[in-house]
Amino acid sequence: MVEAFAVASGKGGTGKTTSTLALGMALAEEYDVTVIDADTGMANLLFHAGLSSVDTTLHDVLVEGGAPVEDAVYDRFGMSVVPCGTSLAGFEAAEPERLRDVVATLAVDTDVILLDSPATLGSKSAVLPIVLADRVVVVLQPTIPALSDGLKVQEYAHSYGTETAGTIFNKVTDPDDVQSVAEKSRRYFDGPTLATVPDSDAAREARRAGKPLLAYAPAAEAAEAYRGAARDLDVRSGAADDVADRFRSAVIPEPR
Amino acid sequence: MKLPSGRLVHSRVVDDPGSALAAALDRELTGYAVLEPQETLLLAADARGVLTFSEGVPVLAYHTETDRGGPPALADLAVPGPYRLELVALSDAVLTDLHDTPALRVPPGMPAERLAGDHDLAARTRASAPDDRVRESPGGDADSDEPAQESAVEAFLEDEGKIEAIREQAREEARERASEWGLDDVCE
Ligand SMILES: Nc1ncnc2c1ncn2[C@@H]1O[C@H](COP(=O)(O)OP(=O)(O)OP(=O)(O)O)[C@@H](O)[C@H]1O
Ligand SMILES: [Mg+2]
Repeated sequence: MVEAFAVASGKGGTGKTTSTLALGMALAEEYDVTVIDADTGMANLLFHAGLSSVDTTLHDVLVEGGAPVEDAVYDRFGMSVVPCGTSLAGFEAAEPERLRDVVATLAVDTDVILLDSPATLGSKSAVLPIVLADRVVVVLQPTIPALSDGLKVQEYAHSYGTETAGTIFNKVTDPDDVQSVAEKSRRYFDGPTLATVPDSDAAREARRAGKPLLAYAPAAEAAEAYRGAARDLDVRSGAADDVADRFRSAVIPEPR
Repeated sequence: MKLPSGRLVHSRVVDDPGSALAAALDRELTGYAVLEPQETLLLAADARGVLTFSEGVPVLAYHTETDRGGPPALADLAVPGPYRLELVALSDAVLTDLHDTPALRVPPGMPAERLAGDHDLAARTRASAPDDRVRESPGGDADSDEPAQESAVEAFLEDEGKIEAIREQAREEARERASEWGLDDVCE
């Protein structure tokens, strides 16, 4: 069984990568989790996960006659992590369509796939994670631009047959005020507010230390918020046998 | 708000209002910026946001369509980009007259916080503001007890028409691009 989530926001720096790894680690308590850096143009998951010096990344897989996916999978922090390289040449050589096959292959052997998604909706490779995913986790901040970009992401997702799993408010500076913002935004976003994550020094330090937040500061309030998000996320299982087919032909969404 | 004519110093399309604020701050603009949303689906064609600046620091905010000023104008201005941005330089004297409109005033860092959600830009702006403006309270159009950034966010979320416009525009865009990208068959 597998369900694939795109962790997306449409806006830069909201905490998609931080959230992907934090949610992934929290979900790994219960599920077999695979995390993929699908932000192939501006990859940085590798820096968050201490994988910046590995040999094989997603870029090497997304080319004609490239490396097998397995070579780009690293067991880290209780998850399978697929980092992506950061070179422009690697991005230019990569064929975005091949991400389909990567997801299809990895889907056979895991419970949950998290796709760390780009901060834009402006190209085919940027929207592909949203197209491929079953549902999207929208990472928001309680600001007008972040909310308006989050709305856009959700509309794109729905247009492409991908539902909303829920929202995460990140970098929250005022926990009281965010409650009413979350309340009001529930009218527009499907799914529950999975977490409100405080603006946290631990999150910044974790990034600098090259570790996911839950590995670097498991006791931090922000880490606890992500564990709560994992608890509130109702992971649905897909049909076990046709999983690979589902992703290979992900252009045609399953009837839901 | 009648805008005096001045010298056009900068005109281009920007993705978000933050770039407009940064452009004004970096060139220490004394004058005003006009922001015109490019994709005005469901918005009036002449909807424009105006911000005035003194040496790069925002002073007034006004929105032509809603005719609101001060912090509410910032909420009105917050629509998805891109925008056409024009920066116009004015002489100090002309601007001083214009600035004598307390109802339209915004504290220096507020536009960066509310339009761009950019704390760093807000901090840089406050650092450039004269001391007597740093603690300035918002203009008279604002609720007197509306200090928090969140209240602009809440006003935004209560504007169902605007949110529907954003969503409609995104759906349209998603469909158009799907065919550009050969993803037609994904569309529901
Ligand atoms: N809750 C938080 N509190 C404080 N800092 C945070 C928090 N979450 C993320 N950050 C920091 O914000 C920065 C951006 O986070 P992250 O890389 O996760 O965002 P992103 O959305 O993936 O960015 P991009 O759009 O560039 O991919 C990082 O330095 C990260 O450490
Ligand atoms: Mg990222």
